[in-house]
Amino acid sequence: MAFFSDQLLSGLIFLPLVWALIGLLFPASSESQKKWISIWALAGSILTFLLSLGLYQGYMPQGLEFQFKESVEWLPFLGISYSLGLDGISLWLVILTTLITPIVILASFSSIKTEVKKYYFFILTLETAMLGAFVALDIFLFYIFWEVMLIPMYFLIGIWGGKERTFAAMKFFLYTIVGSLLMLVAIFYLIYQHQIQFGVYSASILDLVRLQLPGSGWFSTQSLLFLAFALAFAIKVPLFPLHTWLPDAHVQAPTAGSVILAGVLLKMGGYGFIRFAFPLFPEAVLQYQLVFLILGAIAIVYGAWVAMIQPDVKKLVAYSSVSHMGYVIIGLFSLNTIGVTGSIYQMLNHGISTGALFLLVGMIYERAHTRQISDFGGITKIMPLFALAFMIVTLSSIAVPGTNGFVGEFLILLGTWQANSWIAVIGGLGVIFGAVYMLWMFQRVMFGPVTQEKLRGLSDLNLREGVILLPLIFLIFFMGLFPNFFFSKMDASVQRFLVKSRVQSTPSLERSAFSFNKELLNGKFHQ
Amino acid sequence: MENFTSSWIQTDLLSLGASQVKGLMPYFWMIVGTLVALMACLFKERLSNLLVFSLTLITLVVGFMTSWGLVWTESVPIFNAMMVSDSFSHLMNLVFISAAGITVLGSWAYLKKEGLTYPEYYVLLLFSTIGMMLMVSAQDLIVLFIALELMSLTVYTLVAFRRADRRCNEASLKYFVLGGAASAILLYGAALIYGATGSTQLPTILSMVQIDAGQVSTVFMVGAWLVIAGFLFKVASVPFHMWMPDVYEGAPMPITGFMTTGLKAASFAAFARVFISLGYGQGLSDYLQVHIHDLMWICALLTMIIGNLIALTQTNLKRMLAYSSIAHTGYLMVGMIAGAFNDHGYSPVIFYLMTYSIMNIGAFILLAMISKRFDVGANLQDFSGLAKRHPWLAFSFSVFMLSMAGIPPTAGFVAKYLLFYAAVQAGEVVLVILSVLCSAISVYYYLRVILVMYMKESITPSMEGVPASGLSELSSTSSGSGVGVALSSIRETPFAVVAVGLMVILTIQLGVLPQQWIEIAKQAVSSL
Repeated sequence: MAFFSDQLLSGLIFLPLVWALIGLLFPASSESQKKWISIWALAGSILTFLLSLGLYQGYMPQGLEFQFKESVEWLPFLGISYSLGLDGISLWLVILTTLITPIVILASFSSIKTEVKKYYFFILTLETAMLGAFVALDIFLFYIFWEVMLIPMYFLIGIWGGKERTFAAMKFFLYTIVGSLLMLVAIFYLIYQHQIQFGVYSASILDLVRLQLPGSGWFSTQSLLFLAFALAFAIKVPLFPLHTWLPDAHVQAPTAGSVILAGVLLKMGGYGFIRFAFPLFPEAVLQYQLVFLILGAIAIVYGAWVAMIQPDVKKLVAYSSVSHMGYVIIGLFSLNTIGVTGSIYQMLNHGISTGALFLLVGMIYERAHTRQISDFGGITKIMPLFALAFMIVTLSSIAVPGTNGFVGEFLILLGTWQANSWIAVIGGLGVIFGAVYMLWMFQRVMFGPVTQEKLRGLSDLNLREGVILLPLIFLIFFMGLFPNFFFSKMDASVQRFLVKSRVQSTPSLERSAFSFNKELLNGKFHQ
Repeated sequence: MENFTSSWIQTDLLSLGASQVKGLMPYFWMIVGTLVALMACLFKERLSNLLVFSLTLITLVVGFMTSWGLVWTESVPIFNAMMVSDSFSHLMNLVFISAAGITVLGSWAYLKKEGLTYPEYYVLLLFSTIGMMLMVSAQDLIVLFIALELMSLTVYTLVAFRRADRRCNEASLKYFVLGGAASAILLYGAALIYGATGSTQLPTILSMVQIDAGQVSTVFMVGAWLVIAGFLFKVASVPFHMWMPDVYEGAPMPITGFMTTGLKAASFAAFARVFISLGYGQGLSDYLQVHIHDLMWICALLTMIIGNLIALTQTNLKRMLAYSSIAHTGYLMVGMIAGAFNDHGYSPVIFYLMTYSIMNIGAFILLAMISKRFDVGANLQDFSGLAKRHPWLAFSFSVFMLSMAGIPPTAGFVAKYLLFYAAVQAGEVVLVILSVLCSAISVYYYLRVILVMYMKESITPSMEGVPASGLSELSSTSSGSGVGVALSSIRETPFAVVAVGLMVILTIQLGVLPQQWIEIAKQAVSSL
């Protein structure tokens, strides 16, 4: 048992990969055989999810900074090791990943008919790469997982995507790799600096944070390194003006691809800022704080405006992602406990609500074979259950109190207000724009008379689709009503993160914000 | 005269001790095997072809085994220190022998398809391999030159092996003329260096340079530059790259593979040896140091940019790989520039050469399998939908492409990582940034191949009828020898499949667990 718990993270990461490799041995000629492959993949992903709940059980918020640590030497002469560890921030992202994966696999049962074996292989390898990136403590290892992630996603978009799939897949890959490669150069430089300053090679993030890098000025060493990292992460987030790959990738990707992209991959960017860019380059972060706050604010408003005029539902949701991830950026760069906590929470929220939106769009697309808003109308009358689910998710997306979106955006705006009130005002405006485009879309699609006769034949949600959506809808309310369930595991890590980033937080406001949470939102749950 | 000879040649160096004999064993066995194979060409065609093929493989295996045993031994000077048997030369021997072996395996079916079943092909390959082996173990510019010529002349012939094909002849002639000119430049440089330092022996040259650091003569400088230019030609660096795409395109497919790996590795390995003994980074005068560094810097950058940009526009895969090979030369030159100034020395270059050889020769053997007679049908569109028809071929090709693009977890990533890390340590941050951007360009054209294989429907009607054959069906298709079969289907012959399979496994293995291989590379350069 000790062995099992010692290797829990490795087991978690590589379970999907091993499962996927075994899945490749299955025959896939007849329909029933294809079905068995998808069930096999589903079983693997559910097993991974259950394993990740073990992490939740075992994680002690007041314990060591990184838990479930593993470390094996890999390339010792460059200080590279295979080292893993989990803190309160990555814990939730890991669980989000393992939760989203079985959901998308289940959602693919009806939509994926061709090359089933390869499809599930790529989904499961993608899960391995994502989990690996979230728990890697060695910067080299992180980089490997970070890049490996691109390969299955590239195939998922390129093989099973829409009409322009090859273009979108290529754009996605190239965009990401340009940023990553510059980050790689920065990584070289860091490892080299560590060797100069401490005399030994190390690529471990725990060692690298001790580096002293000249930091003042817009183009100091630290700033340039920070920019190299920030470019890679900002592309992934994606932050305005580096977001242009996202609408293409989202629209062309199959439903599962979009959900994983929105649900997990975009979080990689935010996570990268938290785990690497901030602790490594605290002074540069301060230097560029305002730049990123402004870019984040632009992303919020710009994303919302562009989403407003989209004729295609999927594209609308894609642009709403740009807007939502803008909140994550301003929250992070507010550099205080409230903002950062809100940011991390918002990442989870966005994974759930946007993931659910993409699933819903996928469901209706499977039925009506169109995603144009103008083709719909009066869906409420034809598919009441679907409309209900859609409404709940829409409300979560526009951050109505009681849903998860509210907690995240509220904390972010509160935190940002401390950092820069103007940005918070713009962010607040973004909430309004968000309500406009989502509700307007909802109204055009769902209400009014049934515009087209062929819509009348659409069937409502079936049991499988209900099973897919229920956990997400449950989480939307659960996270909205009992945020402390999540904060309790996260707080200590966020504090440590801020200490590492050497940023002074204001204790008085902090306390008031948390007491606000406890009293107004939940309070009882954790006592 | 008598006096001069006796004083110059030290007799104790001429006699061969036990360790020297041991160090010569790989060369000895290779030469013996080659000569036996040459004799075997005299048999009737039916018999000789198979006989020479097996003799060649046996020779290469013996050569491999004997070299393998010597990788971890001390450096031993041989023949009045004209040659040296050290771990560097023996490690590189392993690379050449493996490249030759894989080429031989891949050529068997290819030659049948092309109607070129002449056993001399294998013998020429062996001779060329011996030339490479001698070239990296040469400690003397004269020996180096002779070995270089042995290597090149046989390759000129091999390029023209499909003698009925006009492109082949053009390529060979072009290669011969330009290669001859480059050899002349190299030789002239060697002569000038001899004039400046009074020796053609590399260690002596180095010590002369180090003694003389402050006042390196102009003669030496010009000589050094001519030697470097000669090598830059051999490795096809810009601005000496013009010959390469045409030659690569005209040569028979496996020979192109052999040239991009064996020939390039040999040229780079010998280049490294000479480069070090010219005093780069260790005792060269500041002026010359900066001079060589800057010009190499510019050449490296131009090589990467031009190689990658032109490769972008190619639709013929053979040509694309040729240009990408130029780009890889550029990366390797970054490693050469950094070699003297980092903890790992030239070992990243050697490791890169090893991995590049592995993935590139694999890709060429695959191309040889996929293309039709006269090497047509290696265009991008011929690959469309390949993943459906031949999943394993498409998978292997994807692995090679990803590895060349430097995407983890493949060997190409580790190689690039080490190389660029070494360059950052040597203070070449700007060059590394430009290199990785060039590398990002390359991702596009490598990925495009994968895109076409996996994401496009097949459009060549002649391919439609062919059933998707996995590894299981190879044996049934391998025996057919008619030309008609070759025109319509891809024949996965067992030899070629073994070769490609090995390369795929190695590509992934070096990507995930490169430790031992890097140790070997470090061990090798420590003897330089």
